[in-house]
Amino acid sequence: MGPPKRFKKDNGKYNPCFSTGKWKKRKDEYDKYNDDDSIDSNEADGVPDAAKTDVEKQDECATEDEFGAKDYRLQMILKPDNTSRPLWVAPNGHIFLESFSPVYKHAHDFLIAISEPVCRPEFIHEYKLTAYSLYAAVSVGLQTEDIIEYLKRLSKTSVPDGIIEFIKLCTLSYGKVKLVLKHNKYFIESPFPEVLQKLLKDPVIQECRLRTRITPTEDTDVDDIVTNVQAKSKVPQFGSKAQNTPATSKTNSETESDQMMVESTTIPEDITAFYDKIDKDDEDEEEDQGLKTVSFEVNQEKIEVVQKRCIELEYPLLAEYDFRNDSVNPDINIDLKPSAVLRPYQEKSLRKMFGNGRARSGVIVLPCGAGKSLVGVTACCTVRKRALVLCNSGVSVEQWKQQFKMWSTADDSMICRFTSEAKDKFMGCGILITTYSMITHTQKRSWDAENTMRWLQEQEWGIMVLDEVHTIPAKMFRRVLTIVQSHCKLGLTATLLREDDKIADLNFLIGPKLYEANWLELQKRGFIARVQCAEVWCPMTPEFYREYLGCKMSKKLLLYVMNPNKFRCCQYLIRYHERRGDKTIVFSDNVFALKHYAVKMNKPYIYGPTIQSERIHILQNFKFNTKVNTIFVSKVADTSFDLPEANVLIQISSHGGSRRQEAQRLGRILRAKKGAIAEEYNAFFYTLVSQDTMEMNYSRKRQRFLVNQGYAYKVITKLAGMDEEPDLMYGNREEQGQLLQQVLTASDTDADEERIPNEGPRPIVRKAGTMTSMSGADDAVYYEYKKAPSSSTANKHPLFKKFRT
Amino acid sequence: MSNTLGGKNLLRPNSLQCKNLHEYLKSRSSDILNKLYHKPPICLAVFRELPIIAKHYVMRLLFVEQPVPQAVIASWCSKLYFEEHQKVVQVLNDLYVWKEASIPGGLPGWILNNIFKKNLKIVLLGGGKPWTMSNQLETDSKPRDVAFLDSYALERWECVLHYMVGSQQQEGISADAVRILLHAGLMKRDEADGSPIITQAGFQFLLLDTASQVWYFILQYLDTIEARGLDLVECLTFLFQLNFSTLGKDYSTEGMSEGLLTFLQHLREFGLVYQRKRKAGRFYPTRLALNIATGENKPLAKDTDKEGYIVVETNYRVYAYTNSNLQVALLGLFCEMLYRFPNVVVSILTRDSIRQALKSGITASQIVGYLQQHVHSKMIERGPPILPPTIVDQIKLWENERNRFLFSEGVLYSQFLSQTDFEVLRDHALSTGVLIWQSERKRTMVVTKTGHDDVKKFWKRYSKGSS
Repeated sequence: MGPPKRFKKDNGKYNPCFSTGKWKKRKDEYDKYNDDDSIDSNEADGVPDAAKTDVEKQDECATEDEFGAKDYRLQMILKPDNTSRPLWVAPNGHIFLESFSPVYKHAHDFLIAISEPVCRPEFIHEYKLTAYSLYAAVSVGLQTEDIIEYLKRLSKTSVPDGIIEFIKLCTLSYGKVKLVLKHNKYFIESPFPEVLQKLLKDPVIQECRLRTRITPTEDTDVDDIVTNVQAKSKVPQFGSKAQNTPATSKTNSETESDQMMVESTTIPEDITAFYDKIDKDDEDEEEDQGLKTVSFEVNQEKIEVVQKRCIELEYPLLAEYDFRNDSVNPDINIDLKPSAVLRPYQEKSLRKMFGNGRARSGVIVLPCGAGKSLVGVTACCTVRKRALVLCNSGVSVEQWKQQFKMWSTADDSMICRFTSEAKDKFMGCGILITTYSMITHTQKRSWDAENTMRWLQEQEWGIMVLDEVHTIPAKMFRRVLTIVQSHCKLGLTATLLREDDKIADLNFLIGPKLYEANWLELQKRGFIARVQCAEVWCPMTPEFYREYLGCKMSKKLLLYVMNPNKFRCCQYLIRYHERRGDKTIVFSDNVFALKHYAVKMNKPYIYGPTIQSERIHILQNFKFNTKVNTIFVSKVADTSFDLPEANVLIQISSHGGSRRQEAQRLGRILRAKKGAIAEEYNAFFYTLVSQDTMEMNYSRKRQRFLVNQGYAYKVITKLAGMDEEPDLMYGNREEQGQLLQQVLTASDTDADEERIPNEGPRPIVRKAGTMTSMSGADDAVYYEYKKAPSSSTANKHPLFKKFRT
Repeated sequence: MSNTLGGKNLLRPNSLQCKNLHEYLKSRSSDILNKLYHKPPICLAVFRELPIIAKHYVMRLLFVEQPVPQAVIASWCSKLYFEEHQKVVQVLNDLYVWKEASIPGGLPGWILNNIFKKNLKIVLLGGGKPWTMSNQLETDSKPRDVAFLDSYALERWECVLHYMVGSQQQEGISADAVRILLHAGLMKRDEADGSPIITQAGFQFLLLDTASQVWYFILQYLDTIEARGLDLVECLTFLFQLNFSTLGKDYSTEGMSEGLLTFLQHLREFGLVYQRKRKAGRFYPTRLALNIATGENKPLAKDTDKEGYIVVETNYRVYAYTNSNLQVALLGLFCEMLYRFPNVVVSILTRDSIRQALKSGITASQIVGYLQQHVHSKMIERGPPILPPTIVDQIKLWENERNRFLFSEGVLYSQFLSQTDFEVLRDHALSTGVLIWQSERKRTMVVTKTGHDDVKKFWKRYSKGSS
């Protein structure tokens, strides 16, 4: 485990040292800025060795020019026709793309396939080659040579040798072996017999292998491989009835680009020629080889072991499902309605998934409000086998059901909900919608639920759609995978990032990222709302600031959230937007503040303890009642609350520096508004920040993801018109003083953010008490929560559970 | 808080002052001004730069031979614009264009400076001696077109700039030019080896637009001109004649004095004029010379600048399509440099990098101005606003961040023996309005510097009375 061995050798020719302390410091700072991109290689077990190669390290010894930049000028030669080529490739894997280049479209498609977008503002985009991204590229059918060749052609300069080496290293062994589920049995399949034999020589894999015959001898082992011929298949059309519309739109866009090519003759021919080749490759790559494959069966319980072992052997398994030729599982009778029209980017993402006529597992990343559900529904309709949809709350289960009924021919009898509130009959249903926590529930279930679970476990699912896939902890995810057998898995998310960098796990648990949309582009074309992001600076009142400086951490949070100036700003913004006729959501992670703000302003609020029926009641009122234009919500509404009406969002307190939360929240107002003009801002996103407090730093950190997507935050230091606004609360010293008293007397738990079950580590509970009470003398049970490694279930030691119940 | 201004300067490094023509002339004595006003071109240049109301006054007074009452002149301007009128009066006084004269009857009045009046008339109506720059010349066998002159001028000028950042890729400049740079404080001698190195003022200088740079440089040059044995008036006159010449036309050096010819050679070195050979007998003024003296009021037309090369993104990235060390060095003043490719530089604006620049006296508006001036054509195409407004705002916010303290100079009073003593003195200071700060608990107070004497006297009287 550990350092990139093969690369050390290449680095040998550079002077292996840090040039100066200054450089190192700068690099650290840059990393801090960029820390979410770097993969924590220490934690990454279960990923292939090659994947741990961090190409970033490669230029540590690159010479620095006099201004402190890494000087790559000596490592690359500028091509004479560089103006017509769109990109630069840095030796550390960063790629810069001109978005105004005539071949931008080609380069963009290609880069999305082989690399991770780092930032995509208006003019120059930055991408980064990583082991994962290259793995994804291979799994959608790109070949090593093609990647290198095309990169060379698109680049303005010569491509550094290190990069070519890196691409080779990461792609050569990938994508050779596939994990296929057939007739409820798992097979490992490969078109390369030699690769399979190599795998079979490994003792771990041998153990996992399921032998149909009784104890075969060592040498028969190798011959025991099933050989079969795979029939040719072609790309499916998405939604047989609706096939015309997307097809024409597709050809339109293609002819458009053709025209563009004719017009601009400056494009070097090699680029366009090669692009066509790759584009075609993408779709019928399998057809040419569509032929002999060899396979062997593996024990179902040991799937994870096999997967992990294969990764260690540098042959990660690709999960694919040949749903056309699956005659064992019954087809379910659903189709897309004719009214369901896929947008170009939705179609493109699905083409990546069904590229070779089989269904690949993977993750599709689309911004919130860009129609992720439709992609999910279409995928289910394409596979037409039993489908399981997992989401993370009861409300979103309802919303998924509605989506299915809206876009597909499925009716109530075919859709089964399985949540703590609603349990439909599972008999004869084709689509089951449930939550992650229902599936992974470990305590006793009702008889009904027990039945459903048993049924669920017996089924062989055609497709499993995992909504908001970034939110679930890896442990829970693994549990889901062991309980449910599914031929292919489709992860849907808006933001493939976590503060704890566990995203890498998803790559190997579900599959590679198949597609990621460009936010700015969708916004320009009117698919998502144009949002004006603003950070409103609210100065702390002197009294609050004095307390802030002198108190401990937990109180600080409460003080800057309850800052009277912030309250006034919030009140002013709400009034302002109510007058405009907007629908406003106010987010607060802190429950104390949430209640206080909402009660003071006399608005409805939803938080953790609010019961389901009340939640739906409030949401319905918000949707249809013109009198209810503002609601207050806690972080329960971060994901999956579909509120298409809302177009203003005010954030008064948030979860530290979480970029994901920021993006998710923005997503609440991203759904494109009807009749909106694309040039104007039609949605508003305010973050209220108390000046000179930690909130400022958090806020800066939170914005990074969206800023990299091309969003611009406007800083508002003073809200115009606020002084004229009559009777805003907390205007005078006395009222502010009273508020301060309330805040100071609030207990420590009030200062905490809301905890949602199954999310994040438990807080450490510290109780004050005498020694006698500690030891249990006054019938208090001594207990202590420790910060367990990343999981909530780990806290519940079985021993304690037994004693307490 | 009366001393805020004085206090501020304690912390903030002086930023580069680029005077415009008027400011320059104002700082000359009336004798020199009168000498200058003997030359019609200078009168025209001064007149051209006057505020529009002042021009109006001058035109109305040009043919009036006796003083005009001040009240009458004031009535030419609407009462609503009294402030502007005041300013204009000040300007005309400072430039010695008119002077006060009392009218028989005792009313205060104004009369135009005779010399100025006479020479302005010459410029406007014709007559007088022919300008030294005659254009009686047979046509040049190898005429130079405007494009050539522009590129020549820019190339020469960049030589100076390149020299300042110490890049090796250009030829050096003359010892004379180096002397001017040193004199202007744009460069200083390195303590170790005595070679000139750039100063903070020099960096600020580099961020100015070309026209301002040239003017600033020329001003510094003029400061040293007398030491070189040249005649200031003669040179200035010539400079302004150049100013009114035509681009792309050649002029003869005939009839120019020895000093003027030397001056011409200096101008040639900086690219203000083009001469094929030292003794060619003819020269072409370049755009740099034509734009001189407009200072900062009229930003130089875009056309002398090369194609823009800077792309500023909303995520604080700055990309510069350049391989010139000069441009990279300038960008490096306020950006953190990340990567350098053969034809592009990748950098990022951070709070730290901007603060670094601010600390060395560069202002936010200079940074924004520089970015704006060299912005890439793709960003202009997209239309206004050219720079992302959030970035511009943020740079300014970062600047404001540094200005949150108000400094007021004051005198501390402490160690009062009793609370009453303290209160009496505090109340006194408060009543006269000189108290800046006080703390009852610590029995300390601060009064303004100007109020100090008064408070001190009061205290002496008070303590004498009580003892």
